[in-house]
Amino acid sequence: MTARFRNPTGGSVDRSRTCRFTFDRQSLRGFAGDTLASALLANGVHLIGRSTKCRRPRGIFTAGPEEPNALGTLDPGDRQIPNVPLTVAPLADGLVFASQNRWPSLRFDLSSIAGVAGARFGAGFYYKTFMWPAWRWYEPLIRGLAGLGCAPKIGVDRPPRERHLDCDVLVVGGGAAGLSAARAAASRGAKVVLCEQDSSLGGELQFETATIDGRASSRWLIDSERELRVAGVELLTGTAVVGCYDDLLLALCQPAGYPGEADELLHIRAAARVLATGATERAIAFAGNDRPGVMLLGAVERFAARFAVRAGNEAVLFANHDRVYCAAQRLREAGIRIAAIVDPRARPELAVLEELERGGVRICNEQVVEQVLGGHRVSGVIVRHRDGVGTPTRISCDVLGASGGWTPALQLATQSGLAQRYDAQLGAFIPVSESATVIPAGAARGKLELAAALADGTAAGAVAATAAGRDAAPAERPALVSADPAPAVMPFWRVVGGDEKRQFVDLQNDVTVSDLRQAVAEGFREIEHVKRYTALGVGTDQGKTSGLPGAAILAEFLGKPLAEVGVSRPRPPTRPIPLGVLAGFRGAPGTVRPVRHTPLQADHVADGALMEPAGLWLRPRYYRDHGESLAAAAEFEAQRVRAAGGLFDASTLGKIEVAGPDAAAFLDRIYLARPSGIGIGRARYCVMLREDGMVLDDGLVLRLAAQHFLLTTSTHAAAAVLSHLEYHAACSAAELAVSCTDVTDAWAVIVVAGPRTRQLLRKVLPPAQWREPLEQLRHMDFHCGKWQSRPLRLLRASFSGELAYELHCAADAAPPLWRALRRHGAPDGVIPYGLEALDILRVEKGYLTSAEINGQVSPYDLRLDDMVKRSAPCIGSGLLARPALHEPSRPILVGLVAADATARLDAGAQLIAAARSTQSLGHVTSAVWSPALGRAVGLALLAREFAAHDREVVAADPLRARYTKARVTAAVHFDPTGERMRL
Amino acid sequence: MLISCPFCGEREVAEFEFRCTLEERGATAAERLYFRLADPRRSLEHWQHVRGCRMWLELHRDLRTGRVLRTASVPVPPADGTGS
Amino acid sequence: MGAYSAFGLLREAIRGPRAWQPLWERRAPEAAYDVVIVGGGGHGLATAYHLARHFGLRRVAVLERTLIGYGNVGRNTTIVRSNYLLPENQHFYEDALRRWRSLGRELNYNIMFSPRGVLDLATSDDQLAACARRGNAMRLAGIDAELLDRAAVGRFARALDCGAVRQFPIHGGLLQRRGGTVRHDAVAWGYARAAARLGVHIIEQCEVLGVVRVAGRIAGVETSRGTIAAERVGIAVAGGTAELARRLGIALPLETHLLQAGVTEPVKPMLDRVLIYMFPHGGEVYVSQSDRGGLVFGGMLDGYPSMTQRGEITRVRDVAAALTSLLPQVKQLRLLRHWAGMNDMTMDGSPIIDRIGGDELYLNGGWCYGGFKATPASGYAFAELIARGRASELIRAFRLSRFASGHLLDESGAGPFPSRQ
Repeated sequence: MTARFRNPTGGSVDRSRTCRFTFDRQSLRGFAGDTLASALLANGVHLIGRSTKCRRPRGIFTAGPEEPNALGTLDPGDRQIPNVPLTVAPLADGLVFASQNRWPSLRFDLSSIAGVAGARFGAGFYYKTFMWPAWRWYEPLIRGLAGLGCAPKIGVDRPPRERHLDCDVLVVGGGAAGLSAARAAASRGAKVVLCEQDSSLGGELQFETATIDGRASSRWLIDSERELRVAGVELLTGTAVVGCYDDLLLALCQPAGYPGEADELLHIRAAARVLATGATERAIAFAGNDRPGVMLLGAVERFAARFAVRAGNEAVLFANHDRVYCAAQRLREAGIRIAAIVDPRARPELAVLEELERGGVRICNEQVVEQVLGGHRVSGVIVRHRDGVGTPTRISCDVLGASGGWTPALQLATQSGLAQRYDAQLGAFIPVSESATVIPAGAARGKLELAAALADGTAAGAVAATAAGRDAAPAERPALVSADPAPAVMPFWRVVGGDEKRQFVDLQNDVTVSDLRQAVAEGFREIEHVKRYTALGVGTDQGKTSGLPGAAILAEFLGKPLAEVGVSRPRPPTRPIPLGVLAGFRGAPGTVRPVRHTPLQADHVADGALMEPAGLWLRPRYYRDHGESLAAAAEFEAQRVRAAGGLFDASTLGKIEVAGPDAAAFLDRIYLARPSGIGIGRARYCVMLREDGMVLDDGLVLRLAAQHFLLTTSTHAAAAVLSHLEYHAACSAAELAVSCTDVTDAWAVIVVAGPRTRQLLRKVLPPAQWREPLEQLRHMDFHCGKWQSRPLRLLRASFSGELAYELHCAADAAPPLWRALRRHGAPDGVIPYGLEALDILRVEKGYLTSAEINGQVSPYDLRLDDMVKRSAPCIGSGLLARPALHEPSRPILVGLVAADATARLDAGAQLIAAARSTQSLGHVTSAVWSPALGRAVGLALLAREFAAHDREVVAADPLRARYTKARVTAAVHFDPTGERMRL
Repeated sequence: MLISCPFCGEREVAEFEFRCTLEERGATAAERLYFRLADPRRSLEHWQHVRGCRMWLELHRDLRTGRVLRTASVPVPPADGTGS
Repeated sequence: MGAYSAFGLLREAIRGPRAWQPLWERRAPEAAYDVVIVGGGGHGLATAYHLARHFGLRRVAVLERTLIGYGNVGRNTTIVRSNYLLPENQHFYEDALRRWRSLGRELNYNIMFSPRGVLDLATSDDQLAACARRGNAMRLAGIDAELLDRAAVGRFARALDCGAVRQFPIHGGLLQRRGGTVRHDAVAWGYARAAARLGVHIIEQCEVLGVVRVAGRIAGVETSRGTIAAERVGIAVAGGTAELARRLGIALPLETHLLQAGVTEPVKPMLDRVLIYMFPHGGEVYVSQSDRGGLVFGGMLDGYPSMTQRGEITRVRDVAAALTSLLPQVKQLRLLRHWAGMNDMTMDGSPIIDRIGGDELYLNGGWCYGGFKATPASGYAFAELIARGRASELIRAFRLSRFASGHLLDESGAGPFPSRQ
């Protein structure tokens, strides 16, 4: 049981495999090898969707990816894929898809009422109204009418596939020119990759009847494919090159024609590229040329030749070139009756015309189709003389194949930097090939005739191979060809006279000839302006069939030659790319950036830590066993550290080793606080400035040897500091001999803090080596030794304000060390603590993080005046004298204590003098509820002139509706003399 | 865009990080930190091969076309300037 | 030229082609003007309009190198907002936002101002604290701001699934309800039409090659279409600032950087807010849905100077990854095209509006990637500066001397690195 419009034989569909599919809940059948469009046509379905602005009924227009009308939504539901060009999507059993942009149904679309208004009002009507009272009153209605398909609600995760290819010659396009180019290049020893966007090779060859070298073109195709494979050419079908980015070409392999499992993104680098991208058939503008059943002539041919589908039973053909006559013959053989051929040119001298007339075909030369009749389907046409003389005739038909000629596909050539020139005979722009590495060939260069395309491709392949450095030169065999004659195109863009509001140029966006006339009248005289004003070419088809006709009609209205008007600049990609494919592996959930774990990740998780991103790192915020909530657990942890002890993973700190004969001198140029004065075995808190004098980072500098230092940086600034050091070592301090090595990932850092830490370390670190150092280490001393025969550096330093040690050990030695500390510390009450508790401890002590060192503060703002005084001239120090840094309104670091024990202080609150004031004096940089003080405390940057101790300010937090009275204090709330650290 | 690192060969621009343009102008240090008078036909720039050898490079680029005209590692001072 | 209105549209629909009037006249430049504005983008056209409308200067010409509106005003992602941190920026952009609200009516051209809300998402408590700092500063300055927690974000932006698996989860956000989008092309055409109606000459395909000085003072400009005398010259060329300044021998604290943006195929309404999502290591995407249905989005700078207006695909891919992380449902939507513009990035990320060298030469530039939202305020303030010779209180902080004196307006704290601003 064959579908009504399917021919019993012919085509390359697999008639042994029936595929059932559903369109708008209608069950239909087709064959494997069909596209959705061909299967629909086989079943006589022509009404596919509705246009954007005017909501006019639309059908299938092309047979390829340049389709402007026939877009559907696949797999309707939460995971649907909208805007799938049905002319590309292959049919599979069980496919379900729906039409778009209509309500309640395709046939009875209520929104077409609005469309009538849209049609009447012309281009850009929305700029001239909707101003009173405000646009937002009208916006929801207009937005609701715009857009095509509906976006899905749920994103589908597909494993991303990417490939990188390197080759000598990339051939874009597997038609006649592309295949010969590939053969010519491969025969010269070049490594060749050929990308063809269609699922099969051949391009136009699949539809022309021709003889090449004594074989039918279909035979030649099969032979060529085999020969190329044997020659080692990589043939990639279903793969469209979508963008040229200087040396890189991006290609999308999408076998399904819509986002699917097999999608692949290819990065191709080629020494030379042959752009055999072919030519796209273009339309003619005539009244009613958007009705379902009006198609490009080549599409009608394709459906017949490839899928054995008759787009209709009775066709009128309308074209401005000779090929229409050969096409008519082929269509008759495919069972379509040709009612008439309408050709605006004078009658050409071709034998085939008599044959056609003998077969009952009416040939109307010097005539045009003035109007298409029909609503949801073409029912006939009105044909009249080109110049309007005589009476028009009505001819019935159910399909109209129209063709205005062919436009070389220039997008990739333009992206590759080639210029264009206008070819009057072709009525199109062709690329100017001056580059040895970017070579357009074949129809893409205006060589529409088969023999010329083959020869051009062969020549291009040879040039490309030479440019790639391959030069073995075999004998060139000329291909003997008999094929369709040269088309003899007469440029013809629109039917003059007739209803210009119904003569469509851009089908998807309903841009008509009238709109173009209006744009010119309103002063838009450049193609780029016209494109933006009318929406010409901005649809999903990217203007492939409408761009040049639009420019030509614009040229006519401007009274300028088309060569001067040009076409709008094509932007990549040349085919729309699904965002999921573009995102690649970075698009999978949870992998948009690399994730960094410390060596203790597994231990933290096992201990019940809530792990949160801190930059790219995962770090423990708090440990769930320690409290019901974040606040409770943090308070518990902080109190325990001060009462007994705690363990903290500080491995994420940046660590950089600086060594070399001039290491000390170098560090004096980098840091305030003169690192050259640090004793061996000692550490010092140092601050480095940015080139403009603002504080870049702070950290400890440890002197390992006379000219060997270890720097620690804050976690978030590690990468920036490393580059900063390397830059100055190479540039401003180039005369110094020094090297900087990043050792961040090599060393883990475990902090042991609290009154019981020394006794804990006595248990864990073997006394033979460590008893003495533990007794003797003063604050900011360090000792290097071993633990379990791995290097261990023990530094006595504190960020919590308690007696504390940093254990620097090799990353892989960290887990056993941590576990040993946990085990031996547990009886003493030593627990692990996280970032939240750390914040409590350090704010109580007034230690700084990136909340204070925010890139906007000078060392004076952080009260480091003494450090500045003691420094050698260093990077940034020369700019500290600028008056702006010393003004009374400059912020300075202060402490804040909430006046009321129950009040809350939050980071981000603005400081004002009194409740009603709107003048900001500064802001709260960090705030915690302090267990040690029993109230909220914080650090702030407050204008110098207001920063007197005991002054009352208000922390204004209108966002959270809180105004907290606070007292200005020194920037340390707990143990100001630091006794506890020095136990 | 490909950058030809003197140490690593031709690598994709994603491996490098641009830092600043040269051609400082100004009477004071403060001005020279900020003001530039660069010729876009030959922009002098400092880049680092961060995802590679981490060396610092001086690039000359034509900003209008995007072409890299010259790549060199940041100049090393003459032999008599070493040591402290 | 008649005014636009619904009634006028109806009349046009009936009368057809006879009713169409050019928005602005094509002209060749005259020999002399009171003021010449170099640059036919949003800022240049707005300035010319205000010079004519509010400052009584009628002999004004706008000289545009290519086509009006073909630069950044036609390439941006259309977002308008005033949610800045520093008071100088706050007051300025708030002035702009207030003007946006009534600009369509003022110009008699529908610029499609859509205050749909701009939501800065926070992916950590630190980021939320920074949002709070900014939002509280905004509120003190009388600008609307709200701090949303995660649940509130989900209620406000229904397209956003706050519970989806993300490496950088949504913790909350800072919302400015009065912010939103504007149709960018309409801004250029609307100002051009309004300025032309007041007698401003708009001259396209006219490149300024140099200035003419008489006795050391500015007297006009040399252009590709001849010499034009002018008493005052205002430069508003955005991404072209560094190049033009070089031609005039003026050193400036800026670099010309590349910024890309893209749009998806049009779909039915799915996103009715402006979302901004930022995470570590340069992760950034801002997205809104245009009234035609495509999602318009962008991210960070490519990171190096360029005037090619062509970017690397790596940045586009990174922004696509950020976008699909934010809105996973867009994985099945397709990128339709992407483009790039030139951004004049300053050393502190804030603009420069100032008189140069005490002469009758005025500069409006350094807008980085934020110039579009400033257009109406910039146009008025720059016109006032040119007309009066003195900067108003609103723009005094944008003076060029701030770099030497240290009064930088560094919102982000990135320092003297335009690529990081």
